[in-house]
Amino acid sequence: MTLFKKSSLAAITVAISAIGTGVAHAECGNVTIAEMNWASAQAAARVDAFILKHGYGCNAETVPGDTMPTATSMSEKASPDIAPELWMNNVTEPIERAVTQNRLVIAGDVLEDPGTNAGEGWWVPRYMVEKNPELTTIAGIKKNVGLFKDPEDPSKGRVVGCPSGWACQITTQNLFKAYDMESAGFNLVDPGSGAALAGAIFKAYNRGEGVLAYYWAPTALLSKLDMVRVEMGAHNAKEFADCTGIANCPNPKPNSFPVSEIKTVVAADFAQKNPEAMAYLKARVWQASDFGAVLEFMEEEQANGQVAAEWFLQNRPDAWSKWVPADVAAKVKAAL
Amino acid sequence: MLWSSDFPQIADTTLRQLSRTIDRGYLTFSREYGASIEAFFDPLLHFLIWFERILLGAPWWSVVLVTAAIGYLAAKSWKLFAGIAIALCLIGVFGMWENTMRTMAMILVCTLMSILIGIPIGIFMARSNRGQRTILPVLDVMQTMPSFVYLIPVVMLLGIGRVPGLIAVVIYAIAPVIRLTNLGIRLVEKEALEAADAFGASRLQKLIKVQLPLALPNIMAGINQTIMMALAMVVIASMIGVRGLGQPVLQAVTNQYFALGLFNGTAVVILAIIFDRVTQGFGLRLQKHREGAPQ
Repeated sequence: MTLFKKSSLAAITVAISAIGTGVAHAECGNVTIAEMNWASAQAAARVDAFILKHGYGCNAETVPGDTMPTATSMSEKASPDIAPELWMNNVTEPIERAVTQNRLVIAGDVLEDPGTNAGEGWWVPRYMVEKNPELTTIAGIKKNVGLFKDPEDPSKGRVVGCPSGWACQITTQNLFKAYDMESAGFNLVDPGSGAALAGAIFKAYNRGEGVLAYYWAPTALLSKLDMVRVEMGAHNAKEFADCTGIANCPNPKPNSFPVSEIKTVVAADFAQKNPEAMAYLKARVWQASDFGAVLEFMEEEQANGQVAAEWFLQNRPDAWSKWVPADVAAKVKAAL
Repeated sequence: MLWSSDFPQIADTTLRQLSRTIDRGYLTFSREYGASIEAFFDPLLHFLIWFERILLGAPWWSVVLVTAAIGYLAAKSWKLFAGIAIALCLIGVFGMWENTMRTMAMILVCTLMSILIGIPIGIFMARSNRGQRTILPVLDVMQTMPSFVYLIPVVMLLGIGRVPGLIAVVIYAIAPVIRLTNLGIRLVEKEALEAADAFGASRLQKLIKVQLPLALPNIMAGINQTIMMALAMVVIASMIGVRGLGQPVLQAVTNQYFALGLFNGTAVVILAIIFDRVTQGFGLRLQKHREGAPQ
């Protein structure tokens, strides 16, 4: 009797655990993944969709999104389930609130070492730094005005700033003032549009000329060109909120751009029911070089996110097979 | 895939290969010759900067007086004199003086370039039917090609700033000068040319003393249109780093600053009206002699 009881208990436990895993897979069922409207987020979303679909058996689907609406919809309606690449700086507050109220879960970083590999900054080409290592700091740059000659005002240097009307125009203007670049002989030049900014950097780099310009990573441009971010010292969040980020702040102090927090955010409901998928999302941290390669591929081939994701999965198995258990990796490989 | 249901297009890979080859070729070209092409445009850049410095450096009242005086001389009207003076002062009061001067300098140099290049081309077109047949379609392309298509290659070649801006503006705005010079010369009456022939005038004399003076009202209309089109390009030019009224307009557009956009847009309109009245007044006075002429 006791024996029977024990074995029946064991059987029940086995049965329950079997149901448990079965339920987990079944519930993975439909997953919606937000595909933002910029290149890197599209590739990231499609890679996640492919791996969740073929590796974990989810019925994964991408839906179009944008930072603000997606974040709101996820926290209010738990849909879409996953935002693979959410730039937190613009939506920090609502997301943090949703996390404390247990509606959203932050799975982790999208990029490895975001402090180095992501975010805004002033950049100089590597070939200039190799000749003159001072150029990695603002002080060194101020000493070498002549290397950044402004063609329209040859006695001065030029900082190619952020286009008119973008939020970064304010921060760039304030930092230009805070570091007293003007008295060092620099002009802050407005490139007028994102295309002209990229064109100006590319033109200078293509010819080996001196250039100091605002830009942001991860982008195809910065992964194609070997540029170094100029060190601006520690980021002072309070000063940034009170002055650096405010237009016409009377007395800006030296500061730096905030580290861009790019996170994978998941609706709490999905996170609780799908521990396996969550484990994948937590482990899925892109190397900057892989991310850059995908962006370059997309630009070079004019490829969309889906094509880029398949290209990445096919050509860089070493990169992504670290994110998943071996059996899942095998399933993904088989589906390619 | 059936050729009848889907257009038989070049394979994607071939197409990509093609655009990549063109891109690479252009990059190599700009690496090889970019510096010397930039050097070629250097005198123009210096002229632009020099002219802008004059307008910015001169005391504001002298710029107001000189512009108003030019208006008076062109139209012989004190009303125009007063109108220009008041309009420019209003621009200054609203804090747009510097940007307006930059835009004015840019537009004047662009117009000058358009005239210097456009009138000879117009004369050539009037003299050669084959020339007209080849140049007209080129003008059509220049006026209809979306500006950014050639702006970014120009930026890759010359960087951002005034010279690429000037090239973009001139490409777009030069067409009316060429078209109306051509038309004006072609419309000169045969009798006038026959009379000139009878006096034994050479081709050059006929051109300078008969054809161009009689075509002048048309040419002035062309210049007027060129200026208007150049002003219309102010905002586009600011998208590749040309300083002036276009930048605040651009800023207003991206941030929905309604008032800022309205002020600076109005300043562009005021400049346009000033340029328009001055050139039209001048053009009308050129035709004055016709009123008294016996028909």
